[in-house]
Amino acid sequence: MDDLTQTFIQESEELLTQMEDALLALEDEPGDEEQINSLFRAMHTIKGAAGIFGFDPVVDFTHPVETVLDQVRSGGRALDDELAGLLLQCKDHTAALVEQITGVGEIEATLLADGYTLLEQLTGQVQAPAVAADAAQEGVVEQEPVGPPHWLITLKFHPDALRNGIDPVSFIRYLGNLGDVVDLILHHDQLPGSDAFDPESCYLGFDIIFHSDASKQEIQAVFEFAEDDCDIRILPPAEIECAFEQMMDELPDDHTQRLGEMLLAVGAITEHELTGSLQQQTEQATAEAEAPVLPVGHILVEQKAVSRELVDKALDKQQKAKQKASHEASLIRVDSAKLGRLINLVGELVISNAAVKLRVEEQGLGELSELVAASEHLVEEIRDNALQLRMVQIGDTFSRFRRVVRDVSRDMEKEIELVITGGDTELDKTVVEKITDPLTHLVRNSLDHGIEMPQERLRAGKPAKGTLSLNAYHDSGHIVIQIRDDGAGLDATRIRAKAEAIGLVKPDQVLTDKEIYQLIFAPGLSTKDKASNLSGRGVGMDVVRRNIDALRGIIDIDSEPGTGTTVTIHLPLTLAIIDGFMVSARGERYIIPLSMVEECVEMEATAWQVDEDRRYVNLRGEVMPYLSLAEFLQIPHCHDDHRRESLVIVRIGHHKAGFVVDTLHGELQTVIKPLGRIFSGFRGISGSTVLGSGEVALILDVQGLIQAATAQMQLH
Amino acid sequence: MTDKTVQHALHGGQFLTFVSGDELFAVDIMQVNEIIEISALTRVPKTPDFIRGVINLRGGVVPVIDLTAKLGNGLSDLTKRSCVVLVSIERNDVQQILGLLVDEVREIIDITDDHVKPPPSFGDQADTRFIQAMAQVDQLFIILLDVSRILEQHEIEQAGAIAEQLSDSVPQAAHSNH
Repeated sequence: MDDLTQTFIQESEELLTQMEDALLALEDEPGDEEQINSLFRAMHTIKGAAGIFGFDPVVDFTHPVETVLDQVRSGGRALDDELAGLLLQCKDHTAALVEQITGVGEIEATLLADGYTLLEQLTGQVQAPAVAADAAQEGVVEQEPVGPPHWLITLKFHPDALRNGIDPVSFIRYLGNLGDVVDLILHHDQLPGSDAFDPESCYLGFDIIFHSDASKQEIQAVFEFAEDDCDIRILPPAEIECAFEQMMDELPDDHTQRLGEMLLAVGAITEHELTGSLQQQTEQATAEAEAPVLPVGHILVEQKAVSRELVDKALDKQQKAKQKASHEASLIRVDSAKLGRLINLVGELVISNAAVKLRVEEQGLGELSELVAASEHLVEEIRDNALQLRMVQIGDTFSRFRRVVRDVSRDMEKEIELVITGGDTELDKTVVEKITDPLTHLVRNSLDHGIEMPQERLRAGKPAKGTLSLNAYHDSGHIVIQIRDDGAGLDATRIRAKAEAIGLVKPDQVLTDKEIYQLIFAPGLSTKDKASNLSGRGVGMDVVRRNIDALRGIIDIDSEPGTGTTVTIHLPLTLAIIDGFMVSARGERYIIPLSMVEECVEMEATAWQVDEDRRYVNLRGEVMPYLSLAEFLQIPHCHDDHRRESLVIVRIGHHKAGFVVDTLHGELQTVIKPLGRIFSGFRGISGSTVLGSGEVALILDVQGLIQAATAQMQLH
Repeated sequence: MTDKTVQHALHGGQFLTFVSGDELFAVDIMQVNEIIEISALTRVPKTPDFIRGVINLRGGVVPVIDLTAKLGNGLSDLTKRSCVVLVSIERNDVQQILGLLVDEVREIIDITDDHVKPPPSFGDQADTRFIQAMAQVDQLFIILLDVSRILEQHEIEQAGAIAEQLSDSVPQAAHSNH
C-alpha cells in the first residue's frame, strides 16, 4: 500500500471519529451549527478524497449522505434521533467500505447491499446499483456529477500558430485519448473583417469542458508542443479543487515554503505556469521600478491558472504555519519506536550513572562526588522528560465509551448518561493501550448488569436516567481510574451462592460483603442468569483482573445495594523506569517501587504489638499484616544475619502491609527489565533491574506480597 | 522420543565441548552465542534448584541453568574455571538467551555423522529429554545437548504453580480485609 493510500485511510478514520463525536455531541446540544458543519465536512472530504483515488463505491455511498447532511445544514431537514442513529450507521458503513476497498480493492456484494438499504432509509428513496441509481436520483435538485471530474481548458492560440505548424484541431482530438470532450465553445471574437483576414493566421480560442481522471500535469503535457504558440489555462473541476484544498491542509507546516511551491506541491499549478508567472513578476519589477510588484498569487489568479479561493487558502496556511512556527507549542509527530529507543537509552544512562556513583563512593573520591551528584540530577531530569514524552491524556480513551454507552442504552432501552471527569490525567501510552479492553468490559458490565431499566429505577425512587461516570486522577505515583454507576449494586447473596456452587468458598466460611464482591474476579464465576449480547463475549471479570495484574495494577470493587457499584483501578504511571527503594534481607537485595512505600520503622515487638503467630502489627492504632521477606522468599541463611530488622510499610490503594527486612539501602532509579518468560509464573517478583555494580536485583511485586501477607494473617 | 528427533540427532557437525560435574557435554556451535566468565548471580526465589539465578548480560537479564543440578547431582561449585555458555533457544517463535553454568569449557570438535548414536535409555527416573544424542570420540562419550529442551514449558509452569500455592493458600479473592 502506498503512502497516499495510507494517508487516505488515516484521514478517513480521523474524519469518521470526528463525525461520531459530532453526532454524539449533537444529541446533547441539538442544533449546534459547528457540529453540523463538522458532520458535513467529514462526509464531504471523504467523498472528495475517495474520488481522487477512484474509490467509486465510497463516493457512491458518501454522496447521498452528504446531500442529506447538506439538507440538515441548510435547515431543510431536522436532525432527530432516528436520523442521528442512521448517520452513525452510515459512519460505520463508510469505515467498512474504506477498509475493504483499501485492503481487498473491491467491495463485497453483501456490504454494498447493506449500503443501499442504509441509503434507502436515509433518503427515503430506492437506491439501486449503478445505472438505476442515477435514474433514481434525477429528481434530486442538487446533483453533483459522480465519476471522473470535469476540467475547464481554455486555449487561445497565437496568430502565428498555424504558420509554426501547430494545428489546434489535432490537440483537441488528442485530448480524446485522456478522456471525453464534453463540450467545446469556440471563441471567434478575434476574427478580423474579411479584408484584414489572413488565412495563415490563427484567430481562434477554445473553451473545452473535459471529462477525465488525468492529472493537471498530464493534461498540460498534451499541449507541450503548442506552449509557445498558445495561451493555455487549465482549471480544475470543483471536486478536484476541494481536493486541492484538502491536500493543502495536509501539507506539512513549513513556514519557509513559498506560495508557488505550495501550489505546485498539491498539483494545482504546473511548473510551467509557475515559472511563467515568476518571470512575469521579474519582468514587471524591472519594467516598472516604481509600481508595486504584484504577488505571485495575484498573477496566477489573473492568468486563471488557479482559483482565488485556493490561493487564499494557501496564503492562509502559509500565514498559520508562520504563526505556528513562532509559537512554542508546535507539535511534532514522532514514531513511537523512536521514543522507545530513547527511553531504553535513558535507562542505560541511568544504570551507567549509578555505576559511576558507586565507584566514586568506593574509591572515596570526595571532589568527584559533587560532579556525580550534579550529573545524577541531570539524568533524573532527562529520565522524567523522556518518560513524559510517552504520556498521553486518558480523555480520548474515555470518550470512546460515549458511543458504547449510547448504543447500549438504545439497544436495551435504558436511559444512561455518561459523565467523564479527569480526562486530562496523563499516563503512559503503552498502559493506555492495554487498559482499553478491560475498561470496555467493565463499562459494558455496568451498563448491562448495573444500571436498571427506567421503570425499575423509578420504582426504586431514583431518576429514570442512570448515570455512569468515568473518573481518573493521580495518587502517589499511580493513576486511579474509577468506573461508577448508580445502578442496583452487586447482589452479595447471589454471588456467594454461585461461589459456593462452584466450590470457590466453603459454606461455613465467614466473608464480608467486600470479600464477596472480590469473588466476581475469580475465574468461572458468573452471576448472569442469561447471557446477553453485551456480556458473554468471552472476556470475563477474571480476564479483566489478569489484564490489570499484568500492568502491575490493582482492581477494587465497592458496591452498595440499591445505590450503585464503583470499580477502582490503580495503575502504575509507567512501565519503564521508576524510583525504587532498595532493601536487603539475608544479604539479598530487592527493590520496592518507592511510590508504594509509606514509611519505614524499626521492627520492635513492644512498640508495635507484633503478633508473631497471627502475623500482624499494630502501627499507631492501625492493624496490618506483615511478612518476613527472608522467609517468604525462602532466602537461605547466611553468616551476616543480624537482628536489627526494619519494617517497610507499603500501600496500594486501601491495602497496606509491612515487609520485614534487614537493611534499608535507600532510593535509587530503577530501570525495569523484564525477567523473561520463564519466570512469568512467579508471584512475589514483578521484574528485575541492573544495579550500578552490574548485579541484577529483583523488583518485588508489592501487590502479590500484600495479598500473601493478608492471606497469612487470615490463616492463623 | 519421537522418530523425528532421533533422525535429527544423528547428524554430526561442529560442537563445543564442556565439563559439568563429571560429564562431558557438547552443544552444536550454531546454538552458542558466546562464553562469558561467571559474574554475580542473583538468585530468583521459589525457583527449582537447577535455575541458579539471573545475570546481567550487557543490560539484559538472562537466566542461568546449572546442568549438574538439572541432572540431579547437586549444585555445582563455582570455581575459577566456571563459565557461562550462552545459547539461544527458540520457544514459540520467540528467541531467548539461556546461560548454562559449566565447570570448564574444553574445545570445539568435529563430530562425524557415524559417531553420533541415539541416546540409550536411562530408565524412567532420569529426565533425559534434553539429551539429543551420544557421541563417541577418542574413546570418550560425549552427551550432545538439545538446548531447546533444557527448560521444558511444563517445568516452568510447575515451578510457577508451586509458587502460586505458597502465596495463595486461601482464595485470592478474599484478600481484601478492610
